[in-house]
Amino acid sequence: MSQSSMQHQTPLREKAHQTFDMVRGFARGADEVEITLSSSIGEHLRFGNNELGQSQYSTSHTLSVRLASGKRQARTTTGRLDKTFIEKAVEKALSQAKTAPEDPDYLSMLGPQKYPTVNRYHKRTVEESAEVKAGYVGHAIDLAKKNGLLASGVLTTNADQVWMLNSSGMEASYGGTTGYFSLTMDANNGNQTGFAMSTFTDIAELKPEKVSETALERAKLNKNQSDIAPGKFDVVIDPYAWSEMLFFLTVSASAGYSPDFGMRQYKEGRSYLSGRMGEKILGDNITIDDDAYHPMGTGPTFDGEGYPKSKLTLVENGVLKNLASSRISAHRYGDARPTGHELPLPNPLGESPTNLTIRGQGRTKTPEELVKELDRGLLVTRLWYIREVEPRTKTVTGMTRDGTFLVENGEVKRPVKNLRFNQSLLELFKNVEELTDPVRNTSFTGAALLQPGVLARDFNFTSVSVF
Amino acid sequence: MSTTKGLGEELAKVSLETAAKENATHSEFRLVNTRIEAVGVINENPASEESNDLGAGIRVLYKDAGWGFADTDELTPDNIKETTRKALALARGAARIGSRTSFAKEPVYLDTWKSPLKKNPFDVPTEAKYELLQEATGKMKEEGVVARRGQIISTNIEKYFANSEGSRIYQDLTQTGASIIVAVKGPTGMQRRSIQQFILGGYELLDEMDLPGQAPVLTKEALELAQAPGCSEGKSDIILSADQVGLQVHESCGHPIELDRVLGYEANFAGRSFLTPDQLRKLQYGSKHVNIVMDATLNHGNGLGTFGFDDEGVKAQRKYAIKEGKFVGYLMSRETASKVGENRSNGCMRADTYKLPIIRMTNVSLEPGDWDYDELIEDTKDGILMDTNYGWSIDQKRYNFQFNCEKGYRIKNGSLGEMVRGPGYSGITPEFWNSCDAVCNKKSWTLWGTPNCGKGQPQQVMGTGHGAAPVRFRNIRVFGAS
Repeated sequence: MSQSSMQHQTPLREKAHQTFDMVRGFARGADEVEITLSSSIGEHLRFGNNELGQSQYSTSHTLSVRLASGKRQARTTTGRLDKTFIEKAVEKALSQAKTAPEDPDYLSMLGPQKYPTVNRYHKRTVEESAEVKAGYVGHAIDLAKKNGLLASGVLTTNADQVWMLNSSGMEASYGGTTGYFSLTMDANNGNQTGFAMSTFTDIAELKPEKVSETALERAKLNKNQSDIAPGKFDVVIDPYAWSEMLFFLTVSASAGYSPDFGMRQYKEGRSYLSGRMGEKILGDNITIDDDAYHPMGTGPTFDGEGYPKSKLTLVENGVLKNLASSRISAHRYGDARPTGHELPLPNPLGESPTNLTIRGQGRTKTPEELVKELDRGLLVTRLWYIREVEPRTKTVTGMTRDGTFLVENGEVKRPVKNLRFNQSLLELFKNVEELTDPVRNTSFTGAALLQPGVLARDFNFTSVSVF
Repeated sequence: MSTTKGLGEELAKVSLETAAKENATHSEFRLVNTRIEAVGVINENPASEESNDLGAGIRVLYKDAGWGFADTDELTPDNIKETTRKALALARGAARIGSRTSFAKEPVYLDTWKSPLKKNPFDVPTEAKYELLQEATGKMKEEGVVARRGQIISTNIEKYFANSEGSRIYQDLTQTGASIIVAVKGPTGMQRRSIQQFILGGYELLDEMDLPGQAPVLTKEALELAQAPGCSEGKSDIILSADQVGLQVHESCGHPIELDRVLGYEANFAGRSFLTPDQLRKLQYGSKHVNIVMDATLNHGNGLGTFGFDDEGVKAQRKYAIKEGKFVGYLMSRETASKVGENRSNGCMRADTYKLPIIRMTNVSLEPGDWDYDELIEDTKDGILMDTNYGWSIDQKRYNFQFNCEKGYRIKNGSLGEMVRGPGYSGITPEFWNSCDAVCNKKSWTLWGTPNCGKGQPQQVMGTGHGAAPVRFRNIRVFGAS
């Protein structure tokens, strides 16, 4: 079996145009019409306790319709693509658009655009058989069994296609594949545990044996953990350890989980960055881009209304330089230009970057080299359950898990118990001394994040758990 | 006859027959139709979206040793046959690695269950919802306010379930939820006040919540918080508001009693649990005041964990997880029940739409105690009242936690004193619950809805219920979060 065997026979483009014509036919009362047709196929080999217990195969198709009359608009989404259900969805959107309040920011739909080509659809990822993928999982389970451990994790592959059309002539499309292999090996109810993962767009990039061996090596090391007093430690954070933590650099709980690097949030004062343009917020050696065209990137190169994404340098050498913006912001504010970072409309939240890349200056180093540079500190292989504590300093709390190791004179000495931290992300990025090459991480937020590992000084651990 | 039910009957026959022909030991078919309407306002900008998602999930067991699951939204008999075969192919692969499964018995049901409803939220025009939200957020307009948000979410879930044992169950559940948030920027940064509730029920919730009445109160509090002192660090007695107790129960009791994570099936993502089977009926999890039930029955209330049957066809039940402080029970499935010596599942397999069912919380609730709220405040000489959750974090075995709240008040000699901003507390779960010396009574007990519990890979989102009243804990580590 492979994922391609379940794909629709009708190409999505043809289906999208047929659907768009049908929607326009039903939406005669609307001034403007936009549709987004999405197709997704996923295969997820999920295992636990050395058993392949939750294998899942999933296909879905979604039609999202946005209709506008004057400055009133509404969106409906349906998973049923037969005529009757499409008609119902359009009727609902029409009735909602009639009674919705006027949106003061409404702009007529976007006209035709030109999009740079990216190739993110890898047939091998789609066509790889479940048997071959089960073999990768089987290898991990065998290795765990031989070493008296239990393997748990998931090997997941996804193929996504999107087609957008509107009544002003905009037409945008995207096809891409993604996947990841996430693995934990543990024993003694998680008192001995090791974690590793790897992401890919082309499954040929995946080296499953390396993932298995890394998880095994860490699990072998991570038993009989020593007590440790909380306090400030220099740390090496493994590249795959912290996607959830980095998510909170760009989203605030203080205004109800609202993205921070957007122009509208910034101007309205909802972002922790508001009023700080040109200010040094991170260390001199830290630059953050939003680059939808990065060779390691994933996802479409257009935004929620079909506008082509620009590459942005949000933070350059620690200084806040740019924000994600949109046509609405350009219309509202004299000093803003559209950058292709609108969310699907109507969108009162504001804009959001979607392809963050964190990079440093000079030569990158390997995680092993970073450990060698640590006189005394901790190697952190996974961070967990991160939440915002204080928005202004971007202080977050969370735990280490699945392997935290004391390093002395550049050598891993022994495992220690899991620690809780309360750490300002802004301070953390002022204390970064070295970075690794980035890895791609899509497992937490779904958004593409290219994140490096780092060596950072004075990471603030505040308490210790019992294991 | 319901369209969903009729289509479910037709396609279930195809799927169950296909699975039987290909020698599945057990098979289940679910057709789920989910309709969600979200109406929201942020500052001056409105947004509404209605989504409708209809699909089928098929789960099969092969040779009593391997499970396979496949889902699809292409609902033709031919594709249902093909999807059943996909599930079987995965089950055969899993059976080669898997061990023999013991599947707890459950009676066969032919039943229909509809959730109670006073006012169908889908009958209320979107326009009326916008008006209500604009009225509420309009009352938040004050200098210093930077975000005014309101949202009303209406959900209807129709499920048709059939299994190879003969059960045929149709359920129709309607849920309603709403929230408002006001954020103020002041000298201490951003301060937030909010209210939120989700129930199994209808638009009557909005009458009870009185969003336009609450909005100015929350706004005034957020403005006060912007000027309030921070919470000092140290040890203190604390009283938690009922909604905060609900989340504490969710994180520190609800998750560690999920038997799949206890047995290691969630080790890679959600984690494991400190409540291992050797602790069952032995560990003093909390003080004698702590009684926590797992209750999906309607008698418990109209929570997001209330239903007629779970997604394995097991009837809703009520059981204790913690009885007078002792750990006595798990959230279970038919497959896992026997692993802790139980001969029946207590009905906790739940799925996000038509995806794979996994063990989930139902309504995991702290039973009310015998304290009047006012008496509890009067009885507290020196402490801090903490109200409305802001952030929450807990380790993967559910020992070490840290929560912070939106607002707090100092308690001195039995009276509420000055307001403090960003109060937080932390601890180790069994030590914390053993420090509980007072639980308020039914008068201040509410069944809270948590709509966004994440679990599984790929991640699923589920609504859970948590009944709770204000509770006092002694000598807890506190700190100022913001």
